[in-house]
Amino acid sequence: MDGVVSYQRFPKIKIREVKDEYLKFELRETDASVANALRRVMISEVPTIAIDLVEIEVNSSVLNDEFIAHRLGLIPLTSDRAMSMRFSRDCDACDGDGQCEYCSVEFQLSVRCDQDQTLDVTSQDLISLDPSVVPVDVAARSTSSGFDATENRGIIIVKLRRGQELRLRAIARKGIGKDHAKWSPAATVTFMYEPDIHINEDMMESLSLEDKRNWVESSPTKVFDIDPSTHQVVVVDPEAYTYDEEVIKKAEAMGKPGLVEIYAKDTDFIFTVESTGAIKSSQLVLNAIQVLKQKLDAVRLTEDTEEADEQFGELGAHMRGG
Amino acid sequence: MNAPDRYERFVVPEGTKKVSYERDTKIINAASFTIEREDHTVGNILRMQLHRDPHVLFAGYKLPHPLQYKIIVRIHTTSQSSPMQAYNQAITDLDKELNHLKDVFERDSFRGALAAVYLGCNKETPNILPSPSGYSSI
Repeated sequence: MDGVVSYQRFPKIKIREVKDEYLKFELRETDASVANALRRVMISEVPTIAIDLVEIEVNSSVLNDEFIAHRLGLIPLTSDRAMSMRFSRDCDACDGDGQCEYCSVEFQLSVRCDQDQTLDVTSQDLISLDPSVVPVDVAARSTSSGFDATENRGIIIVKLRRGQELRLRAIARKGIGKDHAKWSPAATVTFMYEPDIHINEDMMESLSLEDKRNWVESSPTKVFDIDPSTHQVVVVDPEAYTYDEEVIKKAEAMGKPGLVEIYAKDTDFIFTVESTGAIKSSQLVLNAIQVLKQKLDAVRLTEDTEEADEQFGELGAHMRGG
Repeated sequence: MNAPDRYERFVVPEGTKKVSYERDTKIINAASFTIEREDHTVGNILRMQLHRDPHVLFAGYKLPHPLQYKIIVRIHTTSQSSPMQAYNQAITDLDKELNHLKDVFERDSFRGALAAVYLGCNKETPNILPSPSGYSSI
């Protein structure tokens, strides 16, 4: 292989807004396949921790065991440990039961209602045996960041009336969204193509102020505006454009085709990432890049495949009359 | 009842190879790579990267059936290259691109955190450079 040639790209990133659970950034100078691979990996292949096995000791609530087990699985847990944890299916420390410290976290829940008022069983009643893996709302309460701590009463699992009881043991494991959506760290991940808007200034100046106003109003989202002093049409927010082509149709209806031309730049993207809270949004992107790298590493040809081909190649040369 | 296990979608069964290579019997410098337990995520980036290689005459991938968890990547190159060489090159280049992406992302999030501290515009704790978590086990 001549290692000198490379068809590599050098994409650029500009982060616009970061919060623990929200991230907006620009990704430039690459193509849609890379943007989409990142999006897909963030949604379905970045690992997190979620409750996977529930042993119910007592359940006299109105919900059946399976229903409660399902609800427990959907509670997002802080998963900063997930990347370095083992999948229980390939953990060799435990004898296949998937209940050792390397691949699982145990939770306990024991609640009984002894009052006339209805008792809410919430994520705050889940007792984790590992302080680094707790329900995200519990973690948010202790750091008092994110949502208002006084408003936060936890995620309701079930409601109990007098005399009802719920007692269980739950095992949380590492997993990926492809297996079950409960392991997905992403609430939403989207990207849009950055629009490239060209206004034909000469043609625009031939319009009356009234016509300009009508044309600007024809866009369902606020992309254009009129400068109050110069009465010129200006692009105020290109990203508000939804590729609806209403302004183009309006220009045609006004007898001014070509008044504006809008293209989608196919190398530039604007990403919006929302996390469930299991992983910080910025960490989610980094984990996605790492996971994608590992996937690519796994599809590299193994040496025995290459050797087999070389032998076959020689044989082929002989057969061709070498 | 008889639904296949969910892990069937991403765990390569024992005894099967992740990637197998099959030369075209009629055309020189053409071959198919069957990649087990992969989908559009890998298939599409590989294909688009292969298109950047001028020695590649044809590159495409298909997911033969939604319940067969594999993709087939077909590559045809000029005589100056070979499908295997093009395939390896594409993976190497993508890997480098992702390394670069990671660097620029970390650099920019660090810069953003510093700006937030200096400007004092962010009252909450600024999101300081996320540490790349260790990924020791596979």
